[in-house]
Amino acid sequence: MEKISVKVCLGTTCFVMGSANLQELIDIVPAKYGDKVDVSGVPCLGLCATDWEFSKAPYVKVDNEVIKEANVEKVLAAIDEKLAKRQ
Amino acid sequence: MFIDIDCNQVKKYNQNAFGDYFISKRYPDEAKLIAVLSDGLGSGIKANILSCMTATMLLKFVEKQEIPIRQAAEIVMNSLPVCKVRKISYSTFSIIDVNDEGDAKIIEEGNPEFLWIRNGEIMTPPYETIPSKTFKNRCLKSYKIKLELGDRLIFCSDGVTQCGLGNGRLKLGLRREGLIHLVLAKLNEEPEISSSELSAYIIRQAKNIETERLPKDDISACVLYFREPRTSLIFTGPPFNQKKDNEYAKIFQDFKGKKAICGGTTANLISRELNLPITMDKEISIGKLPSCSYMEGVDLVTEGILTLTETLECLEEGNLDIDNAAGKLIKFLLDSDCINFMVGAKLNQAHYNPALPVEIEIRKNIIKKMAAVLQDKYFKKVSVQYI
Repeated sequence: MEKISVKVCLGTTCFVMGSANLQELIDIVPAKYGDKVDVSGVPCLGLCATDWEFSKAPYVKVDNEVIKEANVEKVLAAIDEKLAKRQ
Repeated sequence: MFIDIDCNQVKKYNQNAFGDYFISKRYPDEAKLIAVLSDGLGSGIKANILSCMTATMLLKFVEKQEIPIRQAAEIVMNSLPVCKVRKISYSTFSIIDVNDEGDAKIIEEGNPEFLWIRNGEIMTPPYETIPSKTFKNRCLKSYKIKLELGDRLIFCSDGVTQCGLGNGRLKLGLRREGLIHLVLAKLNEEPEISSSELSAYIIRQAKNIETERLPKDDISACVLYFREPRTSLIFTGPPFNQKKDNEYAKIFQDFKGKKAICGGTTANLISRELNLPITMDKEISIGKLPSCSYMEGVDLVTEGILTLTETLECLEEGNLDIDNAAGKLIKFLLDSDCINFMVGAKLNQAHYNPALPVEIEIRKNIIKKMAAVLQDKYFKKVSVQYI
């Protein structure tokens, strides 16, 4: 089965708006899901430039789903949902 | 040729101010550099004022070529007053005016003779003595020399040659012979050592020789090293005109030298145009900055504004040893001689969100300040291109 990919935007806007606080995902996710999920940073998802009026940074992508105003709980919930659908 | 220049100093113990003064300036349009090292009589504030005035005035005289270097040095020599207590002149100086071709004019008054090293050997350049018209015991030494790739020049204040004076081992101090021995041994060990490291080494050794490691005089060593320039290119920010992305990506690709990208969008742009995948560090943040990413053929890929802002701050403060993306960028910059910035002028409106910290500055401003500090404080050759 293909891994779920979690991409945390580390662009300037997302980083100051909170993706710096998502560091713990790097530890939590492998501990919780083993090798089913892959977490990494990405230089910039480019979403702030298109969505800026609403300023929903930080952005995280779980597979193709965009999570706005992401925090650890929201990301974990999205992963759980994806995994549940697969079963 | 690139002239790698740096100077390191220590103060006389118990003093708050440096009594030696070093000043250097590059003139990119004329492809030349002028540097002055002056030693003020006595120590502390008084010496600091004397040496600072001598050095800055000499530089000002010579820089616009309004007065020839030799005449400028003569004016200063003939004008320096005599100290009532010590009956010698108020300051001594060495001045060098050198271009990228290696044509150097050097004038010394009172400072220890400079060292000229080529292929591990000390050269003995001819010089002309110019006596002072007003003071009997003063004279200038004027040199005209042609430098080659790999040559080094070392200027120092008498604090170096006289260090250790009177202690058990070196009754007459380190002297010129001791300094030559020290420097040649170091060069034998590390032939490619940078000017900054070599001058720091000389200072450290001089201090170690002093009794109880307390310098009895101000100690300064200025090193010039003529070598092939290490060039680098930093691409930061997407170009104003998106249609030109490909063109700029190609310029970046074809650049011969070290390359860095500062900015997530810029990294994506290069990745897309050149079809190079980006891989990230395992961490999300290191310190208070996003971690670096990696791209084949690129030496460093970092986030943009935050990293650049911290880099600028650290460069200004001289705080160079930090363990994050800014630290890597600092190392990248300091390991280069000629630094080219390609600065994309496109704005990201999200950065103007009032919810963001006010520290988020306009890229152009940061680069402008960074170029100035790299040029003035770290003696780099910097060019900035806005795209």
